[in-house]
Amino acid sequence: MASIVEVTDLVKRFGDFTAVDGVSFSIEEGEIFGLLGPNGAGKTTTISTISCLLAPDGGDVTVGGHSVRSDVTAVKRELGVVPQEIALYPTLSAGENLAFWGRMYGLSGAALKKAVDDALLLAGLEDRSKERVEKYSGGMKRRINIAAGILHTPRVLLMDEPTVGIDPQSRNHILETVKELNGKGMTVLYTSHYMEEVEFLCDRIAIMDHGKIIAMGTLNELRAVVGGMDVVDVKVESVSDLVLEQVRAIPGVKQATRTEDALQVLTPGSGSVLGKLVATLESEGSHVTSIAVTEPNLESVFLHLTGKSLRD
Amino acid sequence: MRNLLTIARKEATVISRDRVALLIMLAMPLALIFILGSALGSIGEGDSLSIDVAIVNEDVGETGKLFVDGLTSSKELAALFNIDVSNDAAAVRADVEKGNLTAALIIPSNLTEKITAGEPIGLEVIQDPGSKIAGGIWVSVVKAGTANASAQIIAGKVLTEELAAAAGAGAGGPRARGPGASAGPMLTPPQLPPMTFDAVAVREIEAKVDARISMISYYAAGMTGMFLLFGSMFGAFSFVQERREQTLARMLSTPASRLAIVGGKAIGVLMIGVGQFTVLFLGTRLLFGVDWGQSVAATLMIGFAEALAAAGLAMTLAALGKTERSIGGIAPAAIMLFAATGGSMVPTEQLPKFLLPVQVISPVYWTVNGFLDVMRGATVADVLPNIAAILAIGAALFAFGVWRLRFE
Repeated sequence: MASIVEVTDLVKRFGDFTAVDGVSFSIEEGEIFGLLGPNGAGKTTTISTISCLLAPDGGDVTVGGHSVRSDVTAVKRELGVVPQEIALYPTLSAGENLAFWGRMYGLSGAALKKAVDDALLLAGLEDRSKERVEKYSGGMKRRINIAAGILHTPRVLLMDEPTVGIDPQSRNHILETVKELNGKGMTVLYTSHYMEEVEFLCDRIAIMDHGKIIAMGTLNELRAVVGGMDVVDVKVESVSDLVLEQVRAIPGVKQATRTEDALQVLTPGSGSVLGKLVATLESEGSHVTSIAVTEPNLESVFLHLTGKSLRD
Repeated sequence: MRNLLTIARKEATVISRDRVALLIMLAMPLALIFILGSALGSIGEGDSLSIDVAIVNEDVGETGKLFVDGLTSSKELAALFNIDVSNDAAAVRADVEKGNLTAALIIPSNLTEKITAGEPIGLEVIQDPGSKIAGGIWVSVVKAGTANASAQIIAGKVLTEELAAAAGAGAGGPRARGPGASAGPMLTPPQLPPMTFDAVAVREIEAKVDARISMISYYAAGMTGMFLLFGSMFGAFSFVQERREQTLARMLSTPASRLAIVGGKAIGVLMIGVGQFTVLFLGTRLLFGVDWGQSVAATLMIGFAEALAAAGLAMTLAALGKTERSIGGIAPAAIMLFAATGGSMVPTEQLPKFLLPVQVISPVYWTVNGFLDVMRGATVADVLPNIAAILAIGAALFAFGVWRLRFE
């Protein structure tokens, strides 16, 4: 398949800070491509450059063969954008919001009406189209936010963390919607710091950190980065710096990282490590409440590559 | 162009659904016009101890001078009137028409001649019908003066006739009158001159134009001139909100150009201003009976020009303020300064001269004075300089705003 999005050596600086530092990737037509990384990794800056909101300081981006440097309008016509924030007008109804964004992409008359009706149906809000958006729940707003990005059936849909701060039911609805849109042939660039979403949705994934892509491939290719290692997730009441250092010193522990109430350990052989791990934690007063050994996932890949958690 | 109109329509819809905006842009000016206009009555009438009047004495004889002296030497009248004695009847008539004078007395050039000849003669009093109470006092004073003069003239005439008759009797026999005088030639009473109290009559000639403006009309012009600019504040609010809530970024990711986005938002503010002006114009006419003048076209053109200036000001405010709070501080201060120096609160003639530079760059000044001129009878051609000034200020504000505007 041909690439519909080509990002080549992209650089974006804000003063002395380099937010995107030589990023390159391509997205095939019909693919769901994930950009995964912690907050501040450079995902939103990358997506903002692709959508022509920011001009690149280096490199280039092409969408459908059009460069963001020379043919901005043509690039914009190929794209639908779902921003991280709920970019809607709260005092307008859902129908009015969608009609506005549809007109902004050149729709009018019967085509506009059909597009609005279809988008409302996709969002599952066709019965509440006349209500002002300000009266909607967070999840409903998110769904309309997505609907506003697909009215003109773009070839490429850019979705920047579209599930932030919503309930599980709305999140599932959104993820299913993305799958449905992709099933109709829409190419999707999806950014998130939720590895589960990226694992569920994406055909290929690029992991970003500090403005660079540190790994890229299919889910299985990325898991292979971690090799045959096990991931040991330990729920603990607390882990001090001292305890963390002691855990890292246990023979067989490749990497260890902690979150608020958990410890994640990467090891080639969990059987030989578990006993010492629990003993170390308990001896230092870190009470273990549960322990689980799992297959490597994107979280463990990120841990392996950066030595820190995605949510750090 | 399509995007520009789409954005303009959206902008107008969003602002018109903001209850606070409606309260400030429509309810507040109507309330202030009513309160200030009702409390202060009409210009001139509230100031009854110094009614501005003028006397033009064109009489070449002594009678006119005596009349003027009688009116100007009275301490009682001095307490009531500012009497200006002038030789230029045309200028005085024009001042009454413009509303600069409440009334005027014109003494004709042949007053002495006519009185001497015993012929009736009229004085001309020009009175502004917009100040009937104050003008009416002046008319009463003039009438009283003429009555007094008439009485003196008649008395003098009768005395002259009697003296002449007495002198005639002495020379050619008595021409007795009254009972017992039936024999001999018939004695007849002296022929009275055709001058009674009507001999020196007052004619009221109303000024051609309803030049005096009632307070409620004045404040209709003043408050409309001021509050039309408040649309700019809500336009600027909208820009900042869109920047913060990322709808602006979303708009920028559509094929719409930045010019279309800025232009659309400015036209949205213009649409709000036109709607606001329509409501204030009709509301003040229907609710308070404000007379906006004969030339509706001139009034509408001035209102439209200021709505355009408000759109320009919106861009400048959006460029200067990064948040709603900062705009909420800058905008009312700027608008109140424009309004205070522009005549929204007190007539600009009463403001100190050093404020002139501020007045010249105030769209409110040109707007309010344009409205007032139309109320006094000005036409479209008369207020074209005002309209040009408002548009020039609006264009400068728009250009500055677009130059300094931040989209991110």
